[in-house]
Amino acid sequence: MATEYLPRLPLAFSQAALFGALVIVGLAAGEALRRYASLPRITGYVLAGAALGPHALGLISDDMLFDLRPLVDLSVGLIVFELGFRLDFKWLRANRWLLVTAIGEALFSFLGIFAVMVAFDFRPVLAAMAAAVGTATSPGTVLLVAHDLRAQGQITERLLLFTAVNSAFAYVLLTLLLPFLHFEHQASWQQAFFHPLYLLWGSLVAGWLACILMLRLAAWLGKSEERQFILMVGMVVVTVGIAHALKLSVSLALLTLGMLARNLDRGYAVLPVHFGHGSQLFFVILFVLVGASLSFSAFSAAAAAPVAALILVRFLGKGVALLGFGPLSGIRPGGAGLLALGLLPLSGSAVVMVRDTTLLYPAFGRELAAVVLSAVVILELIGPLATQFALRRAREAHPDG
Amino acid sequence: MDELAFGASAPLTVGVELELQLVRPHDFDLARDADELLRRLGKRKLPGAVKPEITESMVELNSSVHASAATLVDELETVRDAVLQDARVLNVRIAGGGSHPFHDWADRRIYPTERFMHVVERYGYLAKQFTVFGQHIHIGCAGGDDAVFLTHVLTRYVPHFIALSAASPFYQGEDTSFQSSRLTAVSAFPLAGHIPFVRDWAEFLEYFMRMKGFGIVASMKDFYWDIRPKPEYGTIEIRVCDTPLTVRRAALLAAYAQALAAWHLEERPLEPSRTTYLVNSHNRFEACRYGLRGTMVDPYASRKTAIGEDILATMAKIAPHAARLGCGALVHELAAGVRAGDSDAAWLRARHAARGSLADVVREACTRWEKTG
Repeated sequence: MATEYLPRLPLAFSQAALFGALVIVGLAAGEALRRYASLPRITGYVLAGAALGPHALGLISDDMLFDLRPLVDLSVGLIVFELGFRLDFKWLRANRWLLVTAIGEALFSFLGIFAVMVAFDFRPVLAAMAAAVGTATSPGTVLLVAHDLRAQGQITERLLLFTAVNSAFAYVLLTLLLPFLHFEHQASWQQAFFHPLYLLWGSLVAGWLACILMLRLAAWLGKSEERQFILMVGMVVVTVGIAHALKLSVSLALLTLGMLARNLDRGYAVLPVHFGHGSQLFFVILFVLVGASLSFSAFSAAAAAPVAALILVRFLGKGVALLGFGPLSGIRPGGAGLLALGLLPLSGSAVVMVRDTTLLYPAFGRELAAVVLSAVVILELIGPLATQFALRRAREAHPDG
Repeated sequence: MDELAFGASAPLTVGVELELQLVRPHDFDLARDADELLRRLGKRKLPGAVKPEITESMVELNSSVHASAATLVDELETVRDAVLQDARVLNVRIAGGGSHPFHDWADRRIYPTERFMHVVERYGYLAKQFTVFGQHIHIGCAGGDDAVFLTHVLTRYVPHFIALSAASPFYQGEDTSFQSSRLTAVSAFPLAGHIPFVRDWAEFLEYFMRMKGFGIVASMKDFYWDIRPKPEYGTIEIRVCDTPLTVRRAALLAAYAQALAAWHLEERPLEPSRTTYLVNSHNRFEACRYGLRGTMVDPYASRKTAIGEDILATMAKIAPHAARLGCGALVHELAAGVRAGDSDAAWLRARHAARGSLADVVREACTRWEKTG
């Protein structure tokens, strides 16, 4: 009897099927945590990813993670773009102390982490790079938690603004530290000089050109949310691709695009960004994959002390700046502490950032990753809880959110 | 009972309350920073007061008491600028207008005072839908009897105030085809409408005590009438106006109300008439729907007239009183606008037509509010 119409065992699933399954498992895990434990959905996505990832059940292999890299970049691109769009220059001009607070918050946590890393006998270049990575708050986590809670208000707005500023600070700083890295590896002075220039200006110019094109097209398309939504997604995808091809910083280019789209749009051609359900899908994908790439093996007794110190000074650096300058910028009493908590999530994509900037020296990348990876694992799990707590405590979460 | 003792106030003094929209600049939807804004404003010395309103997306600006509406302009501009200064620190923008064109009422959050929480408990979704923005004009009265008299005779002019202030053509993301859609949100309340046809303050008190005895009302605040006596202040309160797009226009409307009240209190050209209340709903609808181009039934002359023309005719009659009160120029300015057919609702529609999105309309309304003139 011919049975060719039946599949052969073992079943061969396409990557697309596996990928779809990942999204559904992540979604269900997020919803379950939310419903039964009142935890942020994002924690569910990360845990689902971690459970299925190469370090646990192994349903997601390292190869698959590599293949899905473009999807991660795209998700990060969309998130960073949306964040950039929230960075309102007019607010910073009208409220100078806000700018001081934002820069102070980034600077203090950078200096704090740097000092601690040096104290733990890390080389200055390594310490500085780790500190730069550590400065940034995870844009995805903050946006997702705020979105999930339907949070609205001063603490939420400032949380997003400070996240945008400290992310920009981190991206630029990482680039500016490149010469030291080159010198450490005895690269030529030309390389040490031109590489950061290329990376920094290249990313800014790419973002700027994309922005000009987007504004022109938006003006031509007119005020239709549907058309503009497609335009924005298209523009983000293209810019991610171009930044990749040109070996530029995806994050910096997209942050520039978002920021300029908001602030250069003199004719008000672009409608306010509301990615809505579309972005939710990307959030799930991103954080399941982030969870899958978390490496719990990075934990070791030896690393415990510096990691704990890193997390602590990072929090203190942000806290001190917020308590010191925050009230001058009009934060209400008690708000500064909540903001410091809200800013706790450390970016999982920080690792990607490190890998990208240090592509030329993989050994250094691994060294650096070892320092920050444990911190990422811890803050990827605690961070969303802290942000959720802060926004709820600030009475900015929606009662049903 | 004490709250119904009619307070002393100098006759024909004037004051206004303006409910304002708090707008967030990243998408021009409503913000919810009333609490933070009021906390900052609390540290300033301002004439009048700024108070919370039913949802966290609005604040209410109260002027002090003025002998002439002419001095209101300066005061309202001063307070407006102070509010703007504090709002800028919080990245909040302010707009006039009777409704936010596209906010979703379900997103609104109630300002947590005991009274507002009670309103939500009682009225459910009506409370959140009540995120509309009105101007209330207070006119001082020598006593309760004058207040009852004025409430009755000014009801004839309700369509005037609606048409002159109309600034809520858009609601929930749609063009309503109305000039003022805001009053529909008010009409939904069971105690909306108008005062019963009582002859004097004593009769009014009798009515009030009966309603209280039934357990229908607890205080004057429970009546959502178009015009109501406010014994606590010793005033009557005209409540049908949309908040205009500028503070100047708010002062112009106050000037018209003040001169109109002066004419009626001093010359008594009209006596209260039941007929007014027969035609009131029709007149009110015409004004909401068509604004100055609507028609109203004049209950005293028993004929139909265009609202715009009736306004101009009335303004001519009250001109001597306006001049004596020092607000002749303001009434004149208002009349010029009526002749030209200007209205805030028309301006909002024109901006929408020119710009193509309601977010643009809100942005331009904010810019207009910020400017003097």
